[in-house]
Amino acid sequence: MSIERDELHEAARRSFASATGQRDPSWIWQQLFEMGWMGICVPERFGGLGLADDAEAVVHFELGRILGPASVAAHMSSIRALAACEQSELLSQGLHGKRFTTSLMLAAAEEQEGFISGELEAVPEAGSAKYFVVAAGERIVVVPAGLPQLKVSPTQLWDPTRSFSRVTLDRVPLEEGLIIASGSAAYELWDSVNGHIMRALAADSLGGTQAVLEMTVNYLKVREQFGRPLAMFQALKHRCADLHTAFCEAQALFWRDMVVARDKTEVNGLGSAKAAIADVYADVAEEAIQLHGGIGLTQEHSCHLYLKRAFLNATLGGSSDVWNEAYGRHLFASHA
Amino acid sequence: MDADEQLNSFRAQVRGWLEFHSPTGWRERSDSPAAFVSVQQEWFGKLVEGGYAIPHWPSSWPGGGRSLAEQKVIYEEIARADAPRLLLSFVSTYHAAATIMEWGTQAQQARYLPAILNGETWCQGFSEPGAGSDLANLKTRAERRGDVYVINGQKIWSTMAQYANKCLLLVRSSKEPAKHAGMTFLLCDLRAPGVTIKPIHQIHGDEEFAEVFFDDVEVPITDRLGLEGDGWAVAQSTLASERGLTLLELSARLQGSLWRVAQAIREGGRAEDSGILRDFGKLAAKVRATCALADQYLAWRMSGQEKDGQASLIKLSYSRTLRDFTKLGVRVKAFHGQFHEPITFGGGMETGNWMADFMNSYAWSIAGGSDEIQRNIISEKILGMPRERRTAMSPALPS
Repeated sequence: MSIERDELHEAARRSFASATGQRDPSWIWQQLFEMGWMGICVPERFGGLGLADDAEAVVHFELGRILGPASVAAHMSSIRALAACEQSELLSQGLHGKRFTTSLMLAAAEEQEGFISGELEAVPEAGSAKYFVVAAGERIVVVPAGLPQLKVSPTQLWDPTRSFSRVTLDRVPLEEGLIIASGSAAYELWDSVNGHIMRALAADSLGGTQAVLEMTVNYLKVREQFGRPLAMFQALKHRCADLHTAFCEAQALFWRDMVVARDKTEVNGLGSAKAAIADVYADVAEEAIQLHGGIGLTQEHSCHLYLKRAFLNATLGGSSDVWNEAYGRHLFASHA
Repeated sequence: MDADEQLNSFRAQVRGWLEFHSPTGWRERSDSPAAFVSVQQEWFGKLVEGGYAIPHWPSSWPGGGRSLAEQKVIYEEIARADAPRLLLSFVSTYHAAATIMEWGTQAQQARYLPAILNGETWCQGFSEPGAGSDLANLKTRAERRGDVYVINGQKIWSTMAQYANKCLLLVRSSKEPAKHAGMTFLLCDLRAPGVTIKPIHQIHGDEEFAEVFFDDVEVPITDRLGLEGDGWAVAQSTLASERGLTLLELSARLQGSLWRVAQAIREGGRAEDSGILRDFGKLAAKVRATCALADQYLAWRMSGQEKDGQASLIKLSYSRTLRDFTKLGVRVKAFHGQFHEPITFGGGMETGNWMADFMNSYAWSIAGGSDEIQRNIISEKILGMPRERRTAMSPALPS
């Protein structure tokens, strides 16, 4: 399996290589649709590639390396929900160019007497989406874009590689949407959507960590001061060694506990793993600017994009503080 | 039966054996060095009998020839049963055995290897007061006089030397200035006249290490391993012999000991303290990450993909995580954690005696190549950062 994983890494890296520095995400979308990677884990009978979770994780990892659009995570997580509910018609749209999105803060709306209301934060590229996947009370509903009761307000984030909106649902009639799950099935489905999002965020963080750390070590090898490369100074080498060790821990944790593990749906374990991985990204990106010195402070260099993205990732899907405490409480209770 | 089923059935077999043979009450009994030694000897004997003491030896030995996956199962099950770690025989079954198997003559192998299974124990005589991280700077001398080498000098940080019969001794046998040349590797009998061993009293009260003094000690040339001058190369086999396997066992034990932190939280009345619970959650994720990294290291080894420097990653990861683990326990206990409690000799890295455990955690960040040496190795071997230039004023950093 790991050989295939390596091959997929390479294929994705080759395919995304020319996108580095691209601000227009449509190029990546095109690429992902053409390669069939949007449905990389969707069963073959629905027109997907039918691969295991690790394949999707590789795509998100490689997107993280090139600071690819976050909307891909929202789209891919949404269409996996459609696959789980056997919504072949919608799924086919999602595999062939129609965009789906959902809240990366895992926010849910309410449902009262047949109307859905709520405010969903962190919905990526809501302006160009065709459908929204929304948790509303005890239902999961696919809501089409363009309804008068839907308001999309773009939010400006420090991270310029992401474009998020706040989506307000003001008494959207339930019959305008398509209910894809209800009752306990809806809770299960929502857990699995959240799991896909957490995994995508963690994979994105790992890819970004690897890229920004490589960039930093390479810079230290070529930048000379006092007549020698900075990479020769032990004080800097030791910091890089610590950062690399943290990266290796994070990626081992990711593949073992978030991708391969049989019980990878336990929400606290998943959340705390995502928190640990996103925190490593934030730490590495913080150090990357410092280790780059002056050039790291300029917009000319891409270091700051990784820093901004890393700090955003540490909040999406629930902040690290929240998850660490939830996991601590969960473990404490299980040892009671 | 596929590989998974075979491994599961092996696990069931080990678990079943441990249910009958794992010692009970050994922590309570281990209140002195002498008690520790007797617990260890008895437990090693049982494991040899059961065929679980030397899974990493070749298959020609009873209980040998186990795959890395099976060795991991044995470690995990011993940790799960809360049986003692094999501390007293550790250097014997790993370092001494690996080095003698690789470099020993047939006569040396016949003399020393079976004796290990009968309880003969070894210590390592490498470090010296002036040669810690910079091991190649060692000064203990061996002078050839007829059929013997005469040894003079001092070794330090020899684990369990005070209980050992034999010593893997690295000495300087030539006056050449080159650091790595001119070293010779000897198998020294610690009962020989002129050997003095003094235990080192560690900051938490244990005596896990000792100093060994050599005053005109004679070692027969037949107890030389490899050729005269080959010592540095032979020593590399010793240093590589455990390469990360121990850390697999230790990280499994750490994962299995998280309940001790939960217990401290409960006993310390911190069950409603969000800050502490948050740190507990964070620590638990870090422990999982260290274990996952140890698993991955094992996978690299099993598939022959291991690269230079990767063993340093898990050594560093484990030592940092162990420090965090023990420090959280100290914090949770607050003032009550400052009450002196007698230690459990050989109780392992996590005993719930938190200040003692915390102080003991330095053993992993200093011994066996300090964290700083591991960082040198990681930055140079894995990240490809250049070594500092060698000058008269600043000698090259060893790695």
